[in-house]
Amino acid sequence: MDTLKIFNSNVVIQRFFYSGNFVNQLKLTALSFSSTCPKKRSISASTAPVGTGGRHFHTAASNHRNTSCFSHMAAPTSDGHKEDVKDDRISRITSAIRVIPDFPKPGILFQDITTLLLDPVAFKDTIDLFVERYKDKDISVVAGVEARGFIFGPPIALAIGAKFVPMRKPNKLPGAVISQEYSLEYGTDKIEMHVGAVQEGERALVIDDLIATGGTLCAAISLLERVGVKVVECACVIELPDLKGRDRLGDKPLFVLVS
Amino acid sequence: MSAGENGGSGGCINGIKSALRVIPNFPKPGIMFQDITTLLLDPKAFKDTIDLFVERYKDKDISVIVGIEARGFIFGPPIALAIGAKFVPLRKPKKLPGEVISEKYILEYGSDCLEMHVGAVESGDRALVVDDLVATGGTLCAAMNLLERAGAEVVECACVIEVPDLKGRERLRSHGKPLYVLVESQFEPNSQ
Repeated sequence: MDTLKIFNSNVVIQRFFYSGNFVNQLKLTALSFSSTCPKKRSISASTAPVGTGGRHFHTAASNHRNTSCFSHMAAPTSDGHKEDVKDDRISRITSAIRVIPDFPKPGILFQDITTLLLDPVAFKDTIDLFVERYKDKDISVVAGVEARGFIFGPPIALAIGAKFVPMRKPNKLPGAVISQEYSLEYGTDKIEMHVGAVQEGERALVIDDLIATGGTLCAAISLLERVGVKVVECACVIELPDLKGRDRLGDKPLFVLVS
Repeated sequence: MSAGENGGSGGCINGIKSALRVIPNFPKPGIMFQDITTLLLDPKAFKDTIDLFVERYKDKDISVIVGIEARGFIFGPPIALAIGAKFVPLRKPKKLPGEVISEKYILEYGSDCLEMHVGAVESGDRALVVDDLVATGGTLCAAMNLLERAGAEVVECACVIEVPDLKGRERLRSHGKPLYVLVESQFEPNSQ
């Protein structure tokens, strides 16, 4: 089984796949997406999925890699087949995410979910995995953090019949807002939520594409708790465990698909 | 065309329209800002909004939906998921990692720029452009240019709201592309 491990150094966050083909795969992934040659087709998995049994998809990254990986999933079921199907979906989702080195600055390996959005089956699986987890948890609010939280939050909200509340950078939301400042590595930032969007006693989910240090999610939780909302869980597609966001969330549970 | 002309969906449309709110003098004096966030707080109205678009596009062989940052990210993905299309985000400069193509467009004062990933859209893709609102049509035209430069065919632009006085529909027509909206809103300069 391949595992994803993350090592910290002073300057660089690096992510390794334990596979002999790692370096080649990473290059393949980046190149096949950005080149103008026909090979780039492979990254979008546009071939039709098979209906039963295994899924066949031709993302460059999956061609050579044994694609099971762990994630912080819900409690294991006793139904082995169900677990297999879930692992299958996680594999496809993981393979559909691409890593862009040195973005937004040297040393950072950026986890890019846009390639996931190019694979309709993997994108649907992503949403389904969240919906399955939350549909019976009496969630009345899904809060999504600008901007990539806007991509995953609304489909979940629609499927479970909850409101969607956008959390935005300053001065984007019209009308009365409440703000929460939070620390960055250098300096601070702020997110805002509309006054009146949520009511005391509501049960909320906070969604973003990725959790790193957890600063943004903590700010989002604060905004909701300040108006008396119960934050049931934070949910992200990707976690970068070495950045300890999970610890920063403290007593608030975190659910991710890919770690 | 607008959904209001469709007759049958009238009840839905009323629910959607009444869920929108107008904020005067945002982002600057004289602008009546059409706020869709209140629509998102009404699960039935939000679902109806998506369903109306899905009904229209599900049999049109759309292979890609592009959504314009950031409110296009709210409406585009649910439609894409329902019709089995790719979703491609169009973003302000320097947000998308990796290789992009850019399209500059003119604003009332100055200019702005929209970017799309190289390789996201392919020659032969049939595309829908989604945003929450069309005003002058400048952003939608920039989006269409990006798609056409990548070899896609733009089938239609779809927005929740149109502000007819700002003539976006005419601008799209001169680009040769149709516009579909659910609600029309009047742009009233703030005379209070």
